Amino acid sequence: MLQTRIRQFITSVREGISAGFISGILVIFLILLGIPINLRDIALFVILLVPVIFGVRLARRLHGRGLFHLLRNALVLGLVAALLAYLLMALINRWQEHGVNVTNYFPSVTTDTMTLLSGVPASELFPNPPRDPLTGQYPEGKPLRANPMRLTFDEKTGLEVLGVNVVIGGFYGFLLALIVTGVAGALLGWVFLAARAGQRWKAARAYLSTSPAAHNGVLLLPLAFFALLWLTVGHGLYNASKATYSVLDPVINLGGSAQEVQLLIGFGIILWGLVAVRAAQPNDKGLSYPARLGVCLALIALLIAVGLWRVMGSNIYFVATSRALRGSETLSVLILLAVGLLLVVQNARALRTPGRFEAQFASTQALLVVLLMPLFLNQGQNDVMTIVGINIMLGLGLNIVVGYAGLLDLGYVAFFALGAYAYAFLSSNQIKTGPDGQPAGLKFAGNDEMVIKLAGWIPITVIVTLLVVLVGVRWWQRRNADHRPWTYRPPLIRFPSHPSNGFATLLTVIAIALSVIVASALEGTALYERLFHSASPFVIGIIVGIIAGMLSGIMLGIPVLRLRGDYLAIVTLGFGEIIRLLFTNLRDYTGGPQGVLEIPRPLPAGATGPVGYLWMVYLVLLGVGIIAFFSTRLKQSRIGRAWSAMKSDEDIAQSMGINLVQTKLTAFAIGAAFAGLGGVLFAARQRNIYPNDFRLDVSIEVLSLVIIGGMGSIPGVIMGAIALIGVPEVLRELATYRILVFGALLVAMVILRPEGLLPAPTAQLRERARALVQSRYQAGGGD
Amino acid sequence: MKEHTDHQPILQAIGVTKRFGGLVAVGDLDLTIMPNQIASVIGPNGAGKTTFFNCVSGFYTPEEGEIRFLGHPIQGLRPDQVTARGIARTYQNIHLFKGMTVLENVLVGVHANLRSTPLGALLRLPINNQEEETALARAYELLEFVGLADVADILATNLPYGSQRRLEIARALASNPRLLLLDEPTAGMNPQETEDTMHFIRRLRDERDLTVLLIEHDMSVVMNISDQVTVLDYGRKISEGTPEYVQNDPLVIEAYLGTAADKVDVDLLAS
Repeated sequence: MLQTRIRQFITSVREGISAGFISGILVIFLILLGIPINLRDIALFVILLVPVIFGVRLARRLHGRGLFHLLRNALVLGLVAALLAYLLMALINRWQEHGVNVTNYFPSVTTDTMTLLSGVPASELFPNPPRDPLTGQYPEGKPLRANPMRLTFDEKTGLEVLGVNVVIGGFYGFLLALIVTGVAGALLGWVFLAARAGQRWKAARAYLSTSPAAHNGVLLLPLAFFALLWLTVGHGLYNASKATYSVLDPVINLGGSAQEVQLLIGFGIILWGLVAVRAAQPNDKGLSYPARLGVCLALIALLIAVGLWRVMGSNIYFVATSRALRGSETLSVLILLAVGLLLVVQNARALRTPGRFEAQFASTQALLVVLLMPLFLNQGQNDVMTIVGINIMLGLGLNIVVGYAGLLDLGYVAFFALGAYAYAFLSSNQIKTGPDGQPAGLKFAGNDEMVIKLAGWIPITVIVTLLVVLVGVRWWQRRNADHRPWTYRPPLIRFPSHPSNGFATLLTVIAIALSVIVASALEGTALYERLFHSASPFVIGIIVGIIAGMLSGIMLGIPVLRLRGDYLAIVTLGFGEIIRLLFTNLRDYTGGPQGVLEIPRPLPAGATGPVGYLWMVYLVLLGVGIIAFFSTRLKQSRIGRAWSAMKSDEDIAQSMGINLVQTKLTAFAIGAAFAGLGGVLFAARQRNIYPNDFRLDVSIEVLSLVIIGGMGSIPGVIMGAIALIGVPEVLRELATYRILVFGALLVAMVILRPEGLLPAPTAQLRERARALVQSRYQAGGGD
Repeated sequence: MKEHTDHQPILQAIGVTKRFGGLVAVGDLDLTIMPNQIASVIGPNGAGKTTFFNCVSGFYTPEEGEIRFLGHPIQGLRPDQVTARGIARTYQNIHLFKGMTVLENVLVGVHANLRSTPLGALLRLPINNQEEETALARAYELLEFVGLADVADILATNLPYGSQRRLEIARALASNPRLLLLDEPTAGMNPQETEDTMHFIRRLRDERDLTVLLIEHDMSVVMNISDQVTVLDYGRKISEGTPEYVQNDPLVIEAYLGTAADKVDVDLLAS
């Protein structure tokens, strides 16, 4: 009889038991991880959130089974969760009584954690002093440390809930809170369901996505966020007569957290820029061409004016002050005007196409707003933007390898490192001195010669190679005018026929040999000196970094051509580590673990003040822009489709005529080239680089941001970089848990939204294809 | 190099042998297919039909023998090279590219006829644009041909089964082949769909000047549309000829239905 009743009872509270068990395990997990170390204030909140979430879930699962049934289950949920937490604490207490120092086993369980949960002051907590081995007693005179699981009715240690001091404090208070929050969560969920909040939310979303007002609002949001940023930034004033500086209060004074909030608004600008561009529809709003153009020109004029005011406003000290360089002011103005002019021309051309208005407006706005943003941020904030930008570049590069071509590359950081070291070698001013005070072994400061040499060799090689190829191919084509291999299907478009592989190799050899001869002949001549002696190490560094990345990408690609999936991941992971270890251990060439120091930033001559970091941010923005542009173009091309097909099924792709070797190597080379470019900018930003900057973690981080953002999606990668790199930079306190959050996010994403935060939309080519076919019929007389 | 004439076989297998360890999947197979024909390869399960297809399309390299396409040997070439030479195929199980739309799937099929390099994709020179547009137009025309133009922009894997089969054929056609290998094109179809597919295969031959080689289990299809039927059993050719001839060949009947004394096997070994 009793058995049956127990069984019935268990059946009726089964949901509560299972939910309580899971939430209890999670609570224990959070306690053991030492969640509350840095964030005492929100520690309890985080832990108590667990039963609330499970309570809400319970309400959803038991929807329609009656409130009483739900409450009974919720109570059991809280009880089970509390019981598990109790057992953990009991275990810790037991160990303590036996003189075991718990922190030896759970290093993260600190006195802070326990104080927070039990209300026992840290000074009274573990460990106990060692027992006397003979008597088994604690030594007299030393205070016996308290058990954390102490029932206290002390008001001071009582648990405060919403400012009300709950009298039952300490650990039992915590257990009670677990139960109460579990029930509260269930009630919350019940109320939510009873009020049909879900349907209302859906209706609201449906309204937002269909209403024209909401749509226009979305299109204008980047501008709105930009205005918000402006209002939160205080402007400096320079009083010329008294030669004093003063700072005006911003319209919205954010006080101490202004830095962080402004950065978050900055991320909002970028994100809403992306969203606005994506939300744009083929819609001209009924405007004629002049009206459309007028709106876009007004926008450009407005934003360029804001930029000009920011750069050259004489009483605004920001970029152009007496402290800053006048020359860079002129340069900034010129760049701004050039950007404005380019946008005007682009808009005037693009708006001729009907239906382009929204897209043009959104993209122009997003571009300008993002370009102006650094002028409103200070040095620290711009540094965060720079590091986010560098990670976007890496993400976009890895996106080609993993997102487009589906080749899981865990050693991606190697290419990044090669780019960084390439620039470091060419530009570092560091001089290593030996024990005798003389320059010894490593000497980077003398690399100017190398820069000049490369500056000469690169253009000479390019010119000579182009000449050789032009002449060679032309000769070949004339000689083999009618040569068509029987085998190949006629191409759709007759390209000039390519020489055979053997002939191409011959041409390459000739080109290299000729370049060597020409370069050696020219070296040392007056012309050579005059042309190249002032070559910028940064430009040469970028070229060398990209080439080094590409070559190493191909070198990694060749041995792993036959590997797929896990095997590929492991080999690439090894490659990444090899490169890092090489840089660590080749002390005589790389400086070993001490790294390369004193890498200069690429600045316009004589630049000082804010120009230093602004220049960096704009270089990174430019890099991101170029890489994003290239990625888009590659994706919508023959090679992009081949990558996509290969990602889906290698064998079938091959039988569609895709050369797997070429396609894979191209993906590796292009992805690595982007990483090399990112590495050069990274070295320029950091100014000192160490092999430890290029650990496996970087590869994992970049991979996570690609997966979380959305594989194969450029806005996704940008969003992923902001979420995984930008936000943790802002919330420094949370940085300790970054890896934990990465892991949790990855698991959650893979389960809940495997396509990523902003997945790539499917290509909509039908209309264009149909128009093409129709125009062809008309042109060809309908054959 | 001389173009082939209509009297030259389009595909010729001479003594093709493919072994997997000790198992002879295809043994000493001779096969000749003339242009603009529909030829079928039939045989019980495990007879080596698909292995032969894989040998032709470059997935396997036969250990012995020679496969000639338009008079040129193609054994040992990679699948992509075989496709570039003008042989396309479909699969017994549908293998469409996941995550790509119907139109993109067909565009991948055009790949072998395109010449643009990654550099061309970055620069988008006029010649690259022209090529892309031509490819797009051809892909769309093919979709119109197979009746899938209206769903060009949805994901290929979301199509119903019959449409996926047709899409696979459209993708194979996109490389502008001379010879099309179809591996069980009517598998899993109802009688109406099978009927449609038969008409479709005839249209392929008549309208697009194709030679079709198909593997098929449905005897009504085979006997209806084939100009030539080859029967395989245990990797060996046991009969070849017109559908009527093959249907009445006692060896074929015995291979399919078996004999009481298993006399056929002895005969086969002796031959």
